[in-house]
Amino acid sequence: MVGPLQLQTAAWALTSALELGLFAQLLRRKLGRVYPVFFAYLLSTILQSIAVAALYRAGNFDKLTTWKIAWLTQGLVVFLRALVLIELARKVLSGYIGIWALARRILLGVAASVFAYDLLLSKGQWQWLIMNGVRGLELAMAAVIVTMLMFARYYRLPVSPLQRSLAVGLCLYSIFYVVNYSLLENVLQEYAVLWNFLGIFAFIASLLLWTTAVTQYSESEEVVPAPEIPPELHGKLTAEVNTRLYLLNRQLIQFFRVKDRRS
Amino acid sequence: MSLAVILLILFALLLVALLAWALRPPAGPVRPPLDVFEALSRSRHCLRISQVVNALQPEDTEYLRDTGQLALMQTLRRQRRQIALNYLNQLQEEFQELIEISRLLAVMSPEAIGIEEMERWRLSLAFAVNCAFLRWKLRLGLQPFSGFAMLSGMAISVARQLDFASTRIAEAAMRTANPTGSGDENIGGF
Repeated sequence: MVGPLQLQTAAWALTSALELGLFAQLLRRKLGRVYPVFFAYLLSTILQSIAVAALYRAGNFDKLTTWKIAWLTQGLVVFLRALVLIELARKVLSGYIGIWALARRILLGVAASVFAYDLLLSKGQWQWLIMNGVRGLELAMAAVIVTMLMFARYYRLPVSPLQRSLAVGLCLYSIFYVVNYSLLENVLQEYAVLWNFLGIFAFIASLLLWTTAVTQYSESEEVVPAPEIPPELHGKLTAEVNTRLYLLNRQLIQFFRVKDRRS
Repeated sequence: MSLAVILLILFALLLVALLAWALRPPAGPVRPPLDVFEALSRSRHCLRISQVVNALQPEDTEYLRDTGQLALMQTLRRQRRQIALNYLNQLQEEFQELIEISRLLAVMSPEAIGIEEMERWRLSLAFAVNCAFLRWKLRLGLQPFSGFAMLSGMAISVARQLDFASTRIAEAAMRTANPTGSGDENIGGF
């Protein structure tokens, strides 16, 4: 019978294979230049796998040191994932100066509030602080992705299928991490191996989603252009908007003056 | 399981639901700018608000009671309430149209739009709530005058914001077209 640790090792091997496959695909389709931070993030996950495997294989360190090094590498990976979000948000929103100025503030506000919310609900012991902090970051990242996509939907901004897949993969992984970790922290501590396995499983799902997206879509083919107005029509439209609004305002204000006089 | 964990998990599930909503395609197709231009040239329903408010005044039908035609008065009032409900629907559509135009202008805006956009979100929400409230008031046969005045006020507010935003866009467009200009020109003819 296959034990949980063997299953976990198999899942780990599968993750590494998928990471390498996605890495190769990014290189082949020259998407590393389009998404340099995502490329760096993927590279960091590969290096992390190698580093953690080497760490456990060497077995020179005591348990606490091993734990600290493992979480340090995880912190770096999470930090790079946060940078991927910034890269993605810039790609989706920064072409629209007014909206980008607003979105930057709102996304930062959402991230800070959600992070604070998570810490507020966390256990007080210091040893949980790092893990709770990582969970807070994951929750904040999920909230930022959802807010960004809602922004794009509200203003009907084009989001390419590749960008959407990257965002969904990151978001679902983060949400799964939060749920999984919250359950582990409180009720499932005796199933830590299962927790690790499920965490890897969620990451495998994200990797499959990204690999499919990178294989199927290219950055240039699928973007529906945003509504653009030729300069001459722009001037005409603006003048028309102003005239209509001015007339509308004037008539409504006149109506209220009549009402005021009556009352 | 503690309340904190339940809250965190509920928040995570809410995010999944919002993600699914955000990934849905928009309800209608993206309007080409020419359609918006055309929509702007149509007449506005909110300009007829005075007739609707007048028709809903009890004094307007009170004489029927004096002449002993109570049933007719009630029928007339019911019909007028129905008209007011239809008018309310049109007003809401018009408001949505103004919001749609303001979104398009926001996408084209060359400057920060923070406060105006937040104000518009607030107005959209308040307008939707007030519309629903007013609809129920009309259905229950209550006098809705103050509600109509409030909705009109909101429409005016959005219109003013649009005015301001479009003027800024025009100014920016003119600055781009004529970088040596003083920028003091009168935009849109007023």
